[in-house]
Amino acid sequence: MLSEEKANTAMPSAAAALRLQIEHSLERRFPAALTPVPRTIRETAPIGIAAVDRLLEGGFPIGAISEVTGPMSSGRTSLALAFLAARTQEDRVCAWVDAHDAFDSESAAANGVALRQLLWVRCKAPNPAAKPWARLDQALSATDLLLQASGFAAIVLDLASTAPEHGCRIPLATWFRFRQAADRTRCSLLVLAEQPLAQSNAAVVLECTRQDCASQSEESPSQTVLTGFTYQVRSGRQRFAPYLSGQRKPPASTWSATSASQREACA
Amino acid sequence: MTTHLYACVHAEEFPAQALLRLRTDLAVQPVVVLDGRPPLQTVCSLNRPARLKGAALGMTRLEAETIPGLHILARSEETEAAARAVLLECAAHFSPRLESVDESTACACILDITGTERLFGPPHTLAERLRDALASAGLRAAVSVSTNFHTARMKAATTRGITVIPPGHEAVALAKLPLDALALEEDPYETFAIWGIRTLADLAALPESDLVARLGPQAVAWRNLARGALPHTFQPIEPAFTLREFCAFETPVEQIDSLLFIGARMIDCLATRAGARALSLASLLVEMQLEGNRAYQRTIRPALATTDRKFLLKLLQLEIAAHPPQSAVLSLTLSAQAGQSSKVQLGLFAPQTPEPSRLDVTIARLKAIAGEDRVGSPVLEDTHRPGAFRMESFAVANQSSAYKPVEIAPARPRMALRRIRPPANVRVQLNARKPISFRDREQTYKVAAAYGPWRTSGCWWSTEPWDTEEWDVLAESSPGSSLACLLVHNRSQNQWQLEAIYD
Repeated sequence: MLSEEKANTAMPSAAAALRLQIEHSLERRFPAALTPVPRTIRETAPIGIAAVDRLLEGGFPIGAISEVTGPMSSGRTSLALAFLAARTQEDRVCAWVDAHDAFDSESAAANGVALRQLLWVRCKAPNPAAKPWARLDQALSATDLLLQASGFAAIVLDLASTAPEHGCRIPLATWFRFRQAADRTRCSLLVLAEQPLAQSNAAVVLECTRQDCASQSEESPSQTVLTGFTYQVRSGRQRFAPYLSGQRKPPASTWSATSASQREACA
Repeated sequence: MTTHLYACVHAEEFPAQALLRLRTDLAVQPVVVLDGRPPLQTVCSLNRPARLKGAALGMTRLEAETIPGLHILARSEETEAAARAVLLECAAHFSPRLESVDESTACACILDITGTERLFGPPHTLAERLRDALASAGLRAAVSVSTNFHTARMKAATTRGITVIPPGHEAVALAKLPLDALALEEDPYETFAIWGIRTLADLAALPESDLVARLGPQAVAWRNLARGALPHTFQPIEPAFTLREFCAFETPVEQIDSLLFIGARMIDCLATRAGARALSLASLLVEMQLEGNRAYQRTIRPALATTDRKFLLKLLQLEIAAHPPQSAVLSLTLSAQAGQSSKVQLGLFAPQTPEPSRLDVTIARLKAIAGEDRVGSPVLEDTHRPGAFRMESFAVANQSSAYKPVEIAPARPRMALRRIRPPANVRVQLNARKPISFRDREQTYKVAAAYGPWRTSGCWWSTEPWDTEEWDVLAESSPGSSLACLLVHNRSQNQWQLEAIYD
């Protein structure tokens, strides 16, 4: 019995010694082969939604582009407002570049966004018959100026109402410039869109979908008040996250938003 | 007994100097200034290159126009007043006691510099510094220092550069000056010419009693003036501190760049003057007189009072570019309001915020892109009207401000709306007063669930009443694609509109 135990303890040490010997002999020829991949630890800013913060390991990265994508009514705007609320409550200054003038200040205030610390740029078409590029061009120019100005903790580029066929024509060079500027000014640039636009320049891509409607499933059909939605968020891309070999599906989580109006109280 | 010491600043050809002060492009060009009503205009002032070209005082416009390459400008009293204020302000930096001794086309003032040696050094050094200060403000002046008030005045009016007359040498310093230097209101010059009196030395040498017997008691004062011994009671003035620059153009200006060329010089002067008093420019009022007797007025208010010339010029450029004058510009006036120099104490752990001056330029640029009223902070209106808000100018709140309203974050995120501005008109099909489908301009949506109605009304006493019925609708246009939106039924106009989308 004793000899068996000795043999068992000797085996790992022998294996370790053999491994060390191999590593020493190969480290000059293949320096990176046997060392772990260095991981970039990016500073993050919490969104304020626990499920999404867990999914992103802390929140949206600071000094990088994050994309929140999905169809209409998938919770993109609610997610962005929650993020802005968290940032403005830290006395930071944020900006919302609104390509289609769709920002609702009541919703923002209900989510806790300090409106006095929010710069809202409402793009407009020069005339009703103008091509959609005019608004898009204004939004990109405004974002560029805000990024260059520095000092903004977060900038939301709202292209959620822009058709994907128009959004995808934004040159990659523009996104690359935004990425560089965001990195330099430590600004979290949040892009709301139907589909990913920034491609490899985005540090995080979230795919949002609406799962459920609160009053439909939980309450009686005669209920006349919509009280909330449940959304699902899937991480489409996380550049700074470690690669997990066993993971087959992208990580996802669900979160819910409730009604902001007085109707909830009446319900 | 204290011996007084006076310094006289004499800026000759002041109408021309005042006009050329802001027009640096004409500084080395021959320029004459015409005064009077057309067609009886005559040259009242000119610069040295014009004199070398053959121009002279009193020439008519026609005579002046025959000289090739001569720039002819019209006299501007406003420009002269602004330049005079600058001259007095420069002088006031060296002594608070000033007396104005303006002559016909010259601007002159006398400073009581008694006891300033410890501050500015000996009189010659003070005179040099005074002349340099005037030169940096765009004015060329002769400076003369004497213990006698009138001696300093006469010497500065008749010489160029700096003259310091030692005490007791006044008569010697004035000896060679012509009798015109007395600048008397009476006209005894003809009598003196008959007597063969040409210079002040000749007049000073005349016996006092004989002079009085022939010309009266006032001759004593003339003789004392010529000897540099006439006493004077100083009558100090207190120039008002107004930051105002004016420039009238000889031809209407249409290009913004040309305006900015003058504007840059004006801002430079204003910032220098404010800076000399340890102040900054809190706001700039831009006024223009346009063709067709129209006026243009804009105000530039930087977030923080500043003397940064480039920054103010950029704001001016963006303001004029955003609101261009509707016709050619005849004159430009910049008036500034002085403010305390901004001092911001930053906290070590305070979050980073945009630099105020840089933010001002950024916002001005954003307004040029998106529109004047489309950049700022939203402020909720105190009303129950859905979606009511107003835009206010965006400013970074001071970290150390005493009161800050605290925003309370909700425990759970709230559903957000995306407004459709203006709301899209839709055709709605109802069943038992509930929408079952609706159609906008592009497609038809089938209503899966409709929550409502939520009725609101208000302002029935005003001209903008509302009376609406809101429905939260889950709609589907095709299988798999659903939309949560807010349909509004305007009850007063019986019209359905797609007002917002939940997102």
